[in-house]
Amino acid sequence: MLLRLRLALTGLLLVLLCAFLIAPATIGFAQSPFGVPGAPPAAAPVESGGRFDALGRRFLAVQQRLHRQLGDSIETLKTERAAAGMLVLIALSFGYGIVHAAGPGHGKAVISSYVLANEETVRRGILLSFVSAIAQALTAVALVGLLAILFNSSGARITGWTNTLETASYALIAGLGLYLLVRELLALFRPAPVGHGHAGRHAHHHAGHDHSCGCGHSHAPPAEALKHPVTLKSMAAVVAAVGIRPCTGAILVLIFALAQGLFWAGVAATFAMALGTAITVSALAALAVGSRDLALRYAGAGSGWASTIWTVCSVGGAAAILLLGAALFAASLGPARPF
Amino acid sequence: MRFAFFGAVVALILGAAGPAGAHPHVWVTARTMMQFDKDGRVTGVRHTWVFDKFYSATALQGLDTDLDGKYSKAELDPLAAVNISSLKDFGYFTVVKAADAEVKLSEPVDYLVEEKAGVVTLAFTLPLSSPIDARLGTLELDVYDPSYYVAFSFAADTPITFAADAPKGCAAKLPQPPKEGNPNDLSESFFSQLGPDSNFGATLSQAARIECAG
Repeated sequence: MLLRLRLALTGLLLVLLCAFLIAPATIGFAQSPFGVPGAPPAAAPVESGGRFDALGRRFLAVQQRLHRQLGDSIETLKTERAAAGMLVLIALSFGYGIVHAAGPGHGKAVISSYVLANEETVRRGILLSFVSAIAQALTAVALVGLLAILFNSSGARITGWTNTLETASYALIAGLGLYLLVRELLALFRPAPVGHGHAGRHAHHHAGHDHSCGCGHSHAPPAEALKHPVTLKSMAAVVAAVGIRPCTGAILVLIFALAQGLFWAGVAATFAMALGTAITVSALAALAVGSRDLALRYAGAGSGWASTIWTVCSVGGAAAILLLGAALFAASLGPARPF
Repeated sequence: MRFAFFGAVVALILGAAGPAGAHPHVWVTARTMMQFDKDGRVTGVRHTWVFDKFYSATALQGLDTDLDGKYSKAELDPLAAVNISSLKDFGYFTVVKAADAEVKLSEPVDYLVEEKAGVVTLAFTLPLSSPIDARLGTLELDVYDPSYYVAFSFAADTPITFAADAPKGCAAKLPQPPKEGNPNDLSESFFSQLGPDSNFGATLSQAARIECAG
């Protein structure tokens, strides 16, 4: 039953991916009959100063085309090709979400580090990724809905709020990283005495890393001490930290759709993007957990190596979240962008 | 394990596809007119930047203060002012070089924003701090955002023009990109068919080189 479900999901994803790739051609967007009068004349992506190689240039060209097709598909919703346009919009947004997650701010590193550092399964990592992505989508919709629809705020104010939320998100991520790091370090240097199967004779008190008790086995902190059980609170913290940052791509699409009088289409596109982003982040989180589990399997459960791996993953993961959050926070404090 | 493999594939794709994390959110089609003084020296560059539909919608959001469905000059002026003042921190995304030395640019003048069918155009003149004679040596003009949040490209038609009082024989050269692949390359033609952008992969501009003969 589970296998069938997995196959069905994989199949659905493949269909969506294919739709994303071929839909514009089949629906006829290849010739873009819906060009807006006065639209920017066709201009290929720029690569100033010869900085990019062929692959980079191609990737830029693909992004530009995708960007344009997103806009075209929204505009078709007002014509008789609305149904087809809607499908294309969803497919394009989904693809955009998958690729967009390559940029910073979608929780890739945070969630991957978090699942690495804690006793997380692949399933939990995927759950975290999806909930975070949906949270980001909700934030974007709420932001534009409130500011643009309710207050008719200027684009500059909306952008300003987006930047503020972004900075706040990075601060929260750094805070989460700090909390996790402190927790891991405390567990490392003050492990609670954990029974590890001594036959009653060795009444050792395991303070710190005393390896020299001569009883023939390692006294590195047992992996159990570092494997913190998943709590709803810590998972909620990750979702909140990542989720309050609205995706800038979604904001652009939402405002554009609103300007066309099609806010609902923008909302649909936003959630399609979230789905794509969630998949990418899930995949990376799964990779993180899979790598750790692979290493653990080779190390052998309960061995010294296993404890070392746990230590590295836990402390390293927490430190990574802290550093990433701090770096992104600092970077987000720069001068306000003109566009 | 299956998931780990899938994740590795995704990571590889993302890694290969993210050179410099280039992920523009704003697309600008640029045109520049070179400005001259009576002695035929270049005194400044006048940019005309046309923005993409998405950014245009964001920029115009909330500007129609009298809700008449149109954007008057009075409604657009604040946008122009805000753009120009925040461009300063980014060097106006413009680099002018003469004899490989960067030329200092002064504060913009004559700036305005126009709107047509939901598309925003920003125009402004960047004066050079001191005039340069393009007849004595090549001038280089580069318009770009180093972080690639904004993707600038010179328009395919008339990217660089010269004001009426330019000396004779002024020309601008945008380097042609290397020809990519051979015509039978499946991936190349595949992309060409899909995209509305028939210039796909064909034109990539680096710094424009401006020379005035004699």
